[in-house]
Amino acid sequence: MDSKHISEQFQSRKKAWDKFFKGLFWVAGFLSAIFILLIIVFIVRKGISPFLPSYPGGAYPIVKFLTGFQWRQDSALYGVAFIVINTVVSALGALLISFPISVLTALFIAKIAPKQLSKIMTTIVELLAAIPSVVYGVFAAGVIVRWVDSLAGSFGLSTYGGNSLMAVSILLAIMVFPTMTSLAIVAINAVPKELTEGSLALGATKTQTNFRVVLTSAKSGIFAGLILGLGRAFGEATAVSMVAGNAMIGPTFDPFGITRTLTSTMLAGLKETQGLDYDIRFSVGIILMIVILGTNLLIHFVKRRIGGSMQ
Amino acid sequence: MTRKRKISDWILNGLTYLSSGIAVLMLFMVLQFVFARGFSGVNLDLLSKPYWSGNSTIEFPQFKTGSFERPAHLPDDVVFSTKLGVGLTDGLDAYKEHQVVVEYLDPDSPLRNGIISTAGVDLGKEMSLSEGSNIVNLMLKDTDGKIVNVGAQRKSTAEDTVAAMDRVSEMRKLYFKTEGGGIYGSLIATMYLIGLSLLIALPIGIAAAIYLNEYAKANKVTGLMRSSIEVLSGVPSIIFGLMGVSVLFPITQAMGIHTVSIILGALTMAVVLLPLIIRQTEESLKVVPIDLRYASLSLGATQTQTIFRVILPSALPGVLTATLLSISRIIGESAALIYTMGTFISDKPRLDQGATTLAVQIWSLMSGEQPNFELSSTISIIILAIVLTLNITVKLISHRLNKKWSV
Repeated sequence: MDSKHISEQFQSRKKAWDKFFKGLFWVAGFLSAIFILLIIVFIVRKGISPFLPSYPGGAYPIVKFLTGFQWRQDSALYGVAFIVINTVVSALGALLISFPISVLTALFIAKIAPKQLSKIMTTIVELLAAIPSVVYGVFAAGVIVRWVDSLAGSFGLSTYGGNSLMAVSILLAIMVFPTMTSLAIVAINAVPKELTEGSLALGATKTQTNFRVVLTSAKSGIFAGLILGLGRAFGEATAVSMVAGNAMIGPTFDPFGITRTLTSTMLAGLKETQGLDYDIRFSVGIILMIVILGTNLLIHFVKRRIGGSMQ
Repeated sequence: MTRKRKISDWILNGLTYLSSGIAVLMLFMVLQFVFARGFSGVNLDLLSKPYWSGNSTIEFPQFKTGSFERPAHLPDDVVFSTKLGVGLTDGLDAYKEHQVVVEYLDPDSPLRNGIISTAGVDLGKEMSLSEGSNIVNLMLKDTDGKIVNVGAQRKSTAEDTVAAMDRVSEMRKLYFKTEGGGIYGSLIATMYLIGLSLLIALPIGIAAAIYLNEYAKANKVTGLMRSSIEVLSGVPSIIFGLMGVSVLFPITQAMGIHTVSIILGALTMAVVLLPLIIRQTEESLKVVPIDLRYASLSLGATQTQTIFRVILPSALPGVLTATLLSISRIIGESAALIYTMGTFISDKPRLDQGATTLAVQIWSLMSGEQPNFELSSTISIIILAIVLTLNITVKLISHRLNKKWSV
């Protein structure tokens, strides 16, 4: 009787502890999951505030913000439209350079290289991914701008010390390369063996199989890498700011002209921590998130269309 | 195989070799650049030196000249003053400005017995000239009774300065700058940040991973949680910076901190690290065989006991991996910290004040009017050495981890 009582108490205490810890673990999980919502809510709230009539010092007209083609801190002109175009153009330029190289490198690592060489190349891609963005920024400000400047010089053009759209694109190309390559490797390795063996059995050469069968079958994984790379290119901040040049008007389509991206705008001349010039960076942050999300959706849509027509 | 086929295959294969070659070249060029520009600056002194050089003006009330021997170990380009026992060289600072650098100072040199003459709390305190300093201006009376000004400000060379020193009869004023350009403050701030961020992020991340892997049922809510965490890992770091100053700033404000601070940076980094820690921990929880859990439970252990005594120890390598990757991420992070910790390089970092990490110090150095490539590259080398070592270590650990359960 007595021992049963003790045992019951013991059992219930054990159960209480189990419940307590389960609750604790749940709180941690919940906290981790809720942050994305907090980020969106807080940034949107703060980013919208400059356009509301209650804003101290008067509201900034939202239409002017969304359609403006000038960004001048000195005369309080904040137009983001050309910056969006610049951001997209520089990222597309980066992908144009980087995408073919990373897909081919991935193919090399996954299918063509001898095993040892493939291991070394994988490590090299991983090391490239591990290099922090400020270091790439220093490299870009020291080396890439000089390339661009001398290239422009050979056309008889001059640049602002090499700070230019082209420098940004080359820098971003290097920075998104590891992301796209590693995802392409995963995609290529996931191609079923039957497909490649089938192709080889039909008499195709190894190279033909690699390019015609493997790459087309790995298409969706490679696209996923493209999206991720694009996201990284849009969101990259410190390194880009070092070579963008921060043009005040735009858009910039001249590869040797200075440019201004959403992220470089958010970092440029960051001194005060209040006032319109500070708060409007949150508005730019909202635009950045919309651009990233928008391109993701667009690419998904395009992919489905292409995928549909191929079947 | 036709000849045409052979050629086209050869070209296509060649393209993949070429692409890989470009990748190798990129890594090589980045490393080559930072080493070429920064390697000469790598030394142990750098780690203990402050960034800002201090300005001091000192006077010498009990001035007596001596006669000093030139030490044999001094290099030939050092000019030695036998009267004052000081060895000087010509140097350039980070902005290519001319300097008269104190290379050697005799232990008994009269220049060691100065007192501070600038107004302020330190007025009248003893102060010595120190090695590595730049002599900006030295005002003295020479043997003819004439007042002479020499030093970097007067564009005097080391030789001119020593020549004037050797004709000294009376010292007036010495204005010098102590050596700056170090990374001590950023190094300390980086360590604070690493410690504090991990202290916050590791428990939460591990607990969240345990919840997701051990408790959560496979339903819509869990799926939503997982995808929320997944999305968090794709957020650009500059957005995390905005998050820090909007979502987390009230927390530090409640602690009585009203500016950017290392604590705010640590809270922000904790959020940045959460997805990474959760993913790594969960990966290692997944490979712990289910039999271990059954065995523990059937022996009468509670679920809590099973988690803490059986599962977590087995998942320790994953936690270690997560920790190393987190450190690497913190060291490389810049955009989020520019917003939450500011860009002012602090030589004496405090948790409740802004400071720069090594990476943000690079940003500060590069975003000024005159980018300081030398110091930036030197810091880059240090960062790369740490980050690349950590990543290779992680690779080795995870390799062993994979082996462990497959045997």
